[in-house]
Amino acid sequence: MMHAALSQSTLQSPLPSPLLIDELTMIRAPLVKALGALGSPTHQIASRAVRTSAVLAQTPAKAPEKIEVFVDDIPVQVLPGTTVLQAAAEVGVEIPRFCYHERLAVAGNCRMCLVEVEKSPKPVAACAMPVMKGWRIKTNSDLTRKAREGVMEFLLMNHPLDCPICDQGGECDLQDQAMAFGSDRSRFTDINYTGKRAVEDKDIGPLVKTVMTRCIHCTRCVRFASEIAGVDDLGTTGRGNDMQIGTYVEKLFLTELSGNVIDLCPVGALTNKPYSFVARPWEIRKVSSIDVLDAVGSNIVVSTRTNEVLRILPRENEDVNEEWLADKSRFACDGLKRQRLVAPMVRMPNGELQAVEWEGALIAVAKALKQANGQVAGVAGQLADVEAMVALKDLVNRLEGETLVTEADFIKGAGIDVRGSYLLNSTIAGLEQADAVLLVGTNPRYEAPLVNTRLRKAYVHNELQIASIGPKIDLSYQHDNLGADASLIKDVCSGAHAFSKVLEGAKKPAIIIGADLLARSDGAAIHATISEYCQKLNKPDWNSFNVLHNNAAQVGAFDVGYQAGAQRAVDAKPKVLFLLNADAGKVTREQLPKDCFVVYIGSHGDAGASMADAVLPGAAYTEKQATYVNTEGRPQQTQPGVSPPGMAREDWKILRALSEVVGTPLNYNTLDELRSRMEQVAPHLTRLGQLTPAGNNELSAKVTPSKSINGGPIDVKQKELRDYFMTDAISRASPTMAKCISAVNKQQRLNEQSKQSVAI
Amino acid sequence: MSLIRQVLCRSTPTLQFAARWASGQDLGPIDLNTALARPDELEQRNKLSGKITVPVDVNLSPISGVPEEHIKERRVRIHIPPKNAMQSGTDNINTWQIEFDNRERWENPLMGWSSTGDPLSNMNVQFGSKDEAITYCERNGWRWFVDGEDKPKKERVKNYGVNFSWNKRTRVSTK
Repeated sequence: MMHAALSQSTLQSPLPSPLLIDELTMIRAPLVKALGALGSPTHQIASRAVRTSAVLAQTPAKAPEKIEVFVDDIPVQVLPGTTVLQAAAEVGVEIPRFCYHERLAVAGNCRMCLVEVEKSPKPVAACAMPVMKGWRIKTNSDLTRKAREGVMEFLLMNHPLDCPICDQGGECDLQDQAMAFGSDRSRFTDINYTGKRAVEDKDIGPLVKTVMTRCIHCTRCVRFASEIAGVDDLGTTGRGNDMQIGTYVEKLFLTELSGNVIDLCPVGALTNKPYSFVARPWEIRKVSSIDVLDAVGSNIVVSTRTNEVLRILPRENEDVNEEWLADKSRFACDGLKRQRLVAPMVRMPNGELQAVEWEGALIAVAKALKQANGQVAGVAGQLADVEAMVALKDLVNRLEGETLVTEADFIKGAGIDVRGSYLLNSTIAGLEQADAVLLVGTNPRYEAPLVNTRLRKAYVHNELQIASIGPKIDLSYQHDNLGADASLIKDVCSGAHAFSKVLEGAKKPAIIIGADLLARSDGAAIHATISEYCQKLNKPDWNSFNVLHNNAAQVGAFDVGYQAGAQRAVDAKPKVLFLLNADAGKVTREQLPKDCFVVYIGSHGDAGASMADAVLPGAAYTEKQATYVNTEGRPQQTQPGVSPPGMAREDWKILRALSEVVGTPLNYNTLDELRSRMEQVAPHLTRLGQLTPAGNNELSAKVTPSKSINGGPIDVKQKELRDYFMTDAISRASPTMAKCISAVNKQQRLNEQSKQSVAI
Repeated sequence: MSLIRQVLCRSTPTLQFAARWASGQDLGPIDLNTALARPDELEQRNKLSGKITVPVDVNLSPISGVPEEHIKERRVRIHIPPKNAMQSGTDNINTWQIEFDNRERWENPLMGWSSTGDPLSNMNVQFGSKDEAITYCERNGWRWFVDGEDKPKKERVKNYGVNFSWNKRTRVSTK
């Protein structure tokens, strides 16, 4: 209809219409792409560098004048180009919508947002229509209400009346809007007894359950998959009443962000599979908290009922996770109920761990500590919170121990003295404005999926140019893989490489280094080389040096003075070794002295607990109020949603109690007192939610770059989706994560089979 | 009109009366005592009327009847409730609220419903501003902390046309 109207106007106008030009270039676009592929990689980079600078040169600086419109007779000043829907939102009028989502492209296909504009013959779609000067928009007039009622009637005509058995019931946009704007009676009479439209359900994986009959074709999931996740798997087929959303061929919708389509779906077509038929929204309690399964520190809402975590949803935070959540953070919550340590345990002479009372366990540990004579060490794992780490540090120091390390490796030698040398200094939100990014030995797609969405956002909306040094991986956007050779770092940083010109010509360049890369033997040299080069790239208000961590405890541990690398703890030959949530298996029994007494404090029975002589059950992140610092250095706190199972207690309280038994009581009894101790150690840790930037020029390359970069080709640990799902004690205990891995394996087998059949 | 006002001002003994008449406002009958009082008497009366604010901290906790355990042991979180990620509506989430620290809940064996021993777990009080909430907590003797801040919403440019733009990466290939 619209198409026809436009082509009619082209016949009348002497100039070629924009649509015609569009169609011509559509044909030409693949040609240009094909030509580009023929050229050498260096030529490609250079040509794009020219294009980037051209785009930058023509960016306008002036802010355009605001125009006045009236929403329900309330005047409002908006920038030209603002849509009717946004203008209405400015004065607090919320126009109903299904397809429109503020973080996705405008689709304009549900028509629910139709509103009347004075002197306009037809109602306009508020989500797609930019306002004009002096428009009088009526969001509650007879025409508007009639339009909404009509749209609602059409939607409900093919929507099943299965709200009582639908998981979306109670938090469904269609339910609410049908109540508010729909008609009070139905004109639907099934004359031929054919029933409503029915659509076959799709199997798109172990995380998202589909009931496609409920779909209202808003295409939010399609747009999310192609714009944010960068996986063009979902799409529409058919037209009119036969339109269907799906993958066309039977295929699993496998990305690390697939859970977000559940939130986006305004009806119950896409729902949470592990959570299906578990609870109703009015039964659950919501607790705002922080996710700790990666170093992003996504804000979450933990839904609980009867002391049980049922599901995890994202919480909006523009600076961290926008409105999205990665699949591991969302679905690994069933790991919180399995493999839990519920009672203190002590290893008996026969070599078995036996459950004991708290008193017995603490006395056993205290006895070992008394005999240790200061040969005490502590290892903090990837889920350790800052409170517990400070308490452990104070306790070990009081017992005259010095060795306090994190389980994850980082630079060997002095590399973490300056805060700016281990943070994501450009900030997560800042990466959105970057225009040239170099990834060195990192796969942000799986190490920090929500940092990757920012990079993808900049790639789509800001013409960001990305190159990577490391293995060839799929990052969900186009990037130049410069190679995996470590000497490339030196080439780029000396300015000899073609991509150096791109970085130096960019307004906001950024280099992101993977934390695992810096753990190599030549990590210090890599760190020094890149940080020196970043001094050159830095702008007055822009720090281009970034380290991407992959666990939540790391930055907090460095902030309170832990050293990196579990090997140090082994080298210290301790008599008593504390493992605080250390489950990665970096420390083994064989490495330690025979008489070493290992104390494990943590929530899950994993690698750490199995080698311990005493196990003190701690609380998981949904059970304590604890601080975590994310990879950009932002301290945030979790809130307790449920209480720890059995006899488990908060980690810092266990250490406080232990210090009392040993006879060197720590001088804090409450969380507030412990927080003020944390403030003494590092003042920024109590400024929750706020970012304290590490100074721009603080970062100095103290390590002499005489050590050469010669550690062989650069590799990343998480290359494929199957490596993503299980990375810590909680996700390893989660059956949903196990199902995800088997689903990925199954999909790969199917792909190989279909390839073979094609070959035959 | 102005002439009448001038005349009235000159002639009437009570200035107040004239001003009221001239302004044309109907303010009700004038109190005779006020009208006939001397200026110094009026001043004295003004001083005695009105409220006196004494700048001291009000502590309601000894008389509020809340058990001591629930005053000393609790932490109050002052926050703006987050938007439900499952829905697009934003009603009822624009006020500051207080929430007490979470305590244990269990499944009641009778009906399978959720039980709690915490009388304050269902207390939901909304406030117009963060400061009001803080004052309320201080008066009741609770320890409090503010979580989150009231940030202005980020302005976004939404444009239908970029879906079809020929030279930008925003071009949509999947429909």
